[in-house]
Amino acid sequence: MTSIGTGYDLSASTYSPDGRIFQVEYANKAVENSGTAIGLRVKDGVVLAVEKLIHSKLLVSESNRRIQTIDKHVGLATAGLLADGRHLSNRARDEAASYREHYRSAPTLQFLVDRVGLYVQAYTLYSSVRPFGCSTILGAVDETGPALFIVEPSGVSYGYHGAAVGKGRQLAKTELEKLKFSELSLREAVMEAARIIYLVHDDAKEKDFELEMTWVGSETNGVHLPVPQDLFNEAARKAKEALENFE
Amino acid sequence: MFPLTRADSFAQRNDDAFDAYGTYPLHQRAPHKDVFAEGVQHTQQPIVTGTSVLAIQYKDGIMMTADTLASYGSLARFKDVSRLHPVGTSTIVGASGDLSDFQYLQSRLDQLVTDEFTHADAHDLGPAEVHEFLSRVLYGRRSKMDPLWNSVLVGGFRDGKRFLGYVDLLGTTYSAPSIATGYGAYIAIPILREAVDGRQDKLSESDAKAILHDCMRVLFYRDARSIDKYQLATVTADGVHVSDAQPLDTSWGFAEGIRGYGAQTQ
Amino acid sequence: MPDGSFSHPQQRQFNPYTENGGTILAIAGADFTVIAGDTRQSEGYSIQTRYAPKVFRLTDRAVLAVNGFAADGNMFVKKVKQRLEWYRHAHAKDMPLRAIARLIQTMLYAQRFFPYYVYNILGGIEEDGSGAVYSFDPVGSYEREACRAAGAASSLVQPFLDNQIYFKNQTAAPGTSHPTHLPLPDVLSIVIDSFTSATERHIEVGDGLEMYIVLAKGRSAQSLEGMRGLQELSTRPDGDRVFVIRKELKKD
Repeated sequence: MTSIGTGYDLSASTYSPDGRIFQVEYANKAVENSGTAIGLRVKDGVVLAVEKLIHSKLLVSESNRRIQTIDKHVGLATAGLLADGRHLSNRARDEAASYREHYRSAPTLQFLVDRVGLYVQAYTLYSSVRPFGCSTILGAVDETGPALFIVEPSGVSYGYHGAAVGKGRQLAKTELEKLKFSELSLREAVMEAARIIYLVHDDAKEKDFELEMTWVGSETNGVHLPVPQDLFNEAARKAKEALENFE
Repeated sequence: MFPLTRADSFAQRNDDAFDAYGTYPLHQRAPHKDVFAEGVQHTQQPIVTGTSVLAIQYKDGIMMTADTLASYGSLARFKDVSRLHPVGTSTIVGASGDLSDFQYLQSRLDQLVTDEFTHADAHDLGPAEVHEFLSRVLYGRRSKMDPLWNSVLVGGFRDGKRFLGYVDLLGTTYSAPSIATGYGAYIAIPILREAVDGRQDKLSESDAKAILHDCMRVLFYRDARSIDKYQLATVTADGVHVSDAQPLDTSWGFAEGIRGYGAQTQ
Repeated sequence: MPDGSFSHPQQRQFNPYTENGGTILAIAGADFTVIAGDTRQSEGYSIQTRYAPKVFRLTDRAVLAVNGFAADGNMFVKKVKQRLEWYRHAHAKDMPLRAIARLIQTMLYAQRFFPYYVYNILGGIEEDGSGAVYSFDPVGSYEREACRAAGAASSLVQPFLDNQIYFKNQTAAPGTSHPTHLPLPDVLSIVIDSFTSATERHIEVGDGLEMYIVLAKGRSAQSLEGMRGLQELSTRPDGDRVFVIRKELKKD
């Protein structure tokens, strides 16, 4: 990398002469090395799915979750450093609770994303701190309907119909682009999400993985919940079948 | 002259007797004056109030009822206010007394439930936990001499077990097969103990409903701060259900012949 | 105003206390102690519940009875139990009875200027194997005694105990002397009689009776066998043992 040895990459508070902040770009590298996380926003809800790479067979299954619940109606999936993701989700929870305390109503996802973005951005300003090594996908159904965002290590956030971060994001995005989000039902979105995670997982390079999937929408009464076991199993089974027929 | 010490500048004392340097032993010093103490107000009395809450155990769980009136002194101020509040999936909380204090408790409980939910650790709050929480909050506030002016009933059904408990502004707690707050403790309890205590395992849902309905009617006849409109909540293995407000059937025909009630005959 | 009602401003003050009735009592024997309380909880003329325990097992050799303002009582017991648990974590054993007694004094006196409005009676077995009763006032003044009654009907029960346990106003037959300790069956009878009598004469006493019996290590439990409503609460059979007997009292 060209930046190495130039001295401009030692601190988040130093620009390079061409106006870049290398520490933030390195943070993005941490995200790129992580298992893929995706989100699908369809007409009646949002599905989040994560390819959680299992680095040891000794781990208890379903531990170290990478999808968190932020508020009754809000889910957050992270790619990148797990601990950073957990810290951000705690922050997001505090923001949601504080919104409720102030306004006695559920926060919109746009509000939460703005606040989390502001927080993440603050970690790109000082030499004493390190930017967050994670991108977060936030999904919810709020008063505006289904909503889906990504907050990047730089603090910027964008809204999406289909979101993907992590190792397999390129392939995942290609697959997401083929979908008609305005026509998909929540159940169909669950199937697609599982299929994409199984698809982008690289057997050859990577160890084992666990699929993690949550949803929020009409079927869950607007509550962010894990996808029920029977539906989860069905989606995983179909995903494996699709994999065999792929190409 | 420049102020020499913090005590000097804050208290603006100018007499020689004032020990600006704190040289005396603690117990001989002038008592510390909290200059803001008079600005702190504590609840001295309830303002907008709800009257009795009744609750009983029955075969399938617990049933709770409260009318929908919020009184401002003797004024029937708000006539469609719910005093029954579900907490989580297995608990109902009903309150009499100050309704703004109850709204504060509602928001504390909602916060608690949300926190518990977002942790997603397969634990959730049952009625016993909610009752313990409320009793700690109410006892804590009475100990600060700043009470939350309520009598609260907590009912629920979880893991095949019924729960019915009471807590009030002093932090006093207890459990019983039938409990009533306010005037209900005088007027409904004799009826409820007769009908419920010892028969909790036999009472059907319709039995329980009928008993509470009767009690609410008697209370409406005699409690001047009540209204003929009430809600019923049930907590069973199927979860919490709070009914819409329903009217109370009353008959005043008996009064027709009593002088001063019916049409005046003389 | 002519009646002077506004002449000086009035302050109505919130009263943080109430009385919840009931009575407790404890009697020490040579190698056992009985600690008992009724289970009625009331406020004013209303019975709130017919079953609210006032007597609590703290360890395998200590039982605490608490009477007065129920909310304070429950909080106090909760805090004593917490301190005993901390002691167990620090020392890997149960706190001895006399140490619990001193702990209770310290905890009560710490609230000297906003007291726990409760009368405590602590009963159990000392480290030397003797039965012991400690009684406390609300701010922690305490002493070891052979017997003590407290609560709503203490003025009815204590004189009865003075007569039956301390043999006050009784003269021993010539050439004989009063026993210093009574046997367990006699003590149980006295406790039951105390509560049935208090139930008759005091409106705040009744509903149920819980008698905790702590037996010194090695003492036979034979005299308890076959008693109705008996339940053992000890965690181990080879140390001091704790039993409880639950009985009904009149509910009117």
